[in-house]
Amino acid sequence: MPIYLAKRFGLAVLVAFCVSILAFALLRLQGNAAGALAGEGASAEDLAIIVETYGLDRPLIVQYASWLGDVLRGDFGTSYFFKSPVSDLIFDKIGNTVILAIMSLTIALAISIPLGVLAAVFSGSWIDRLCSLVSLLGQALPSFFLALCLVMLFAIKWRMLPASGADSWRHFILPAATLGYYITPPFMRLVRAGMIDALSNDYVRTARAKGLPAHRVILKHALRNALVPVVGLVTVQLGLLIGGSVVIESIFALDGLGYLAYQAIGYRDFPVLQAVVLLLSVVYVVLTLLSDIVNAWLDPRLRVS
Amino acid sequence: MEPLLQVRDLKVDFKLRTNTLHAVRGMSFEVREGETLCIVGESGCGKSMTSLALMDLLPRAATRSVGAMRFGEVDLTDRRAVRRVRGNEMAMIFQEPMTALNPAFPIGDQMTEAYIHHTGATGSAARARAVEMLTEVGIASPEKRLGQYPHQLSGGLRQRVMIAMALMTSPKLLIADEPTTALDVTIQAQILRLLRDLQHRLGIAIVFITHDLGLVSRIADRIVVMYAGARVEEGSAAEIFGSPRHPYTQALIDCIPQPGKSERGAPLGTIPGVVPSLVGDVRGCAFRSRCPVAQPVCADAVPLRAEGGHLWACIHGAKKDETERAPA
Repeated sequence: MPIYLAKRFGLAVLVAFCVSILAFALLRLQGNAAGALAGEGASAEDLAIIVETYGLDRPLIVQYASWLGDVLRGDFGTSYFFKSPVSDLIFDKIGNTVILAIMSLTIALAISIPLGVLAAVFSGSWIDRLCSLVSLLGQALPSFFLALCLVMLFAIKWRMLPASGADSWRHFILPAATLGYYITPPFMRLVRAGMIDALSNDYVRTARAKGLPAHRVILKHALRNALVPVVGLVTVQLGLLIGGSVVIESIFALDGLGYLAYQAIGYRDFPVLQAVVLLLSVVYVVLTLLSDIVNAWLDPRLRVS
Repeated sequence: MEPLLQVRDLKVDFKLRTNTLHAVRGMSFEVREGETLCIVGESGCGKSMTSLALMDLLPRAATRSVGAMRFGEVDLTDRRAVRRVRGNEMAMIFQEPMTALNPAFPIGDQMTEAYIHHTGATGSAARARAVEMLTEVGIASPEKRLGQYPHQLSGGLRQRVMIAMALMTSPKLLIADEPTTALDVTIQAQILRLLRDLQHRLGIAIVFITHDLGLVSRIADRIVVMYAGARVEEGSAAEIFGSPRHPYTQALIDCIPQPGKSERGAPLGTIPGVVPSLVGDVRGCAFRSRCPVAQPVCADAVPLRAEGGHLWACIHGAKKDETERAPA
């Protein structure tokens, strides 16, 4: 087990390192970095000042080392557009996005695991088809449409929940429900397929032959094995969710990372963009590491390799 | 004495799109306390379906009908009653020890959970019992094994664990569905010896299901020979091997190579032809298309002949037919 974790951790560090090179190259590979920073219509003097300020005349390896040093100290530079430190910007917004992501994911799992188990246990029957329909609807409905419907019902008609902002946990319910329902279908399909597979396994027959009650057979012996692939999907989806959902964040005026990245692209705000890319990649690497650990716990056979 | 297990006219059907597959076509047999009954037959003859039907473990697509099925005082056609005795007084082990244990849980957890469920024992009492049972089946350092996962054990060890797990609740009947088929020959012999030894010491009855007649001769008290979903012959081991009455049984015995008796280098015996399709109704004797002594009357209903406890379903084999029975 410790060897397995050490290997995974080493790999994660290596990937993070590669990603930092890519994020660094993002600006430099433009060809003329100074030109990209200065924008259109910059004079030769402006360019010279920029080269001077940012040290663009130094060898690339030196520039990378000093940039990486800054990043490791939490200094991502200053945003061209917002004129404030990038780290402050991100720190302000990432909280909202992470809360939204985790709530959405929780909602998605709370819907998809019971539905997937039900559909698998009664596979082929009307219960299976109903469960599939409920989950498929999440995929078929455009998320902005569902968002607007929820706002109309819960915020405008019944006045139960706020329609926009990020001031309290109640503000997160509608956007999280929208996003959660939207990402339910792949989870539900994976749980259903995993359960059907697990239920046809010999160890399930053994569990039944031992005289265990049906719920123990299904929820312990089958579900535990069916959840292994779900962990991987959680990682991917959580990564995507933390990357931000521009549409949902703008509809609910939930000022998060997705919206920030969207603005940064529009304004060619490279320091912000670099920071977001690097941050999301590192989030992915960390999530993958976590999912390896959880999988090793779920499936003991993985611990040896 | 009342038999421990009594099965009369068991049928297992699978509905196909246009027809019905009759996997088991009216099986009847009994198991007495403490004896080993072997059910022998080729792959697909319905022997596994018979064992699963006893435990109410048939696949969902199967339908079961039965004249009577009793385990001691328990009516096995009553699903709720079955759930009480299953894994408790009546345990089962399977062919594939590699897949029959859940890869996600340690051995100890899997051994104790049903024991706790059936007896209400505490966790530590159950673990003590598991250690005792692992010792019983000849596993060294049992405490260490409890914490291990199935993938850390060899095939032979896993089958021993399966047996130990089945014995946790001191069952009166152990159903063993080809428990040695997936193991290599030396392990096979060890497991057989273990089962026989356990039976003598604990007095459990065993229903041993196998396709290997050679193996049967080493453990059976009584034998049921199955063909195409039905019993074709039943008798004590001495009766079946000493004076087989059904041509199919005779043919199976002829297929076993015997050191000293079989000619060196001679081809192994085979039964010509193929097992008939079990789809739709089978009229008359199912074996007649492969039978060396078949008669036109074999296409009609087959009589069940009896000589004491020795039963066979064939027009041949009564004393006066002795000459007719000689293979053509």
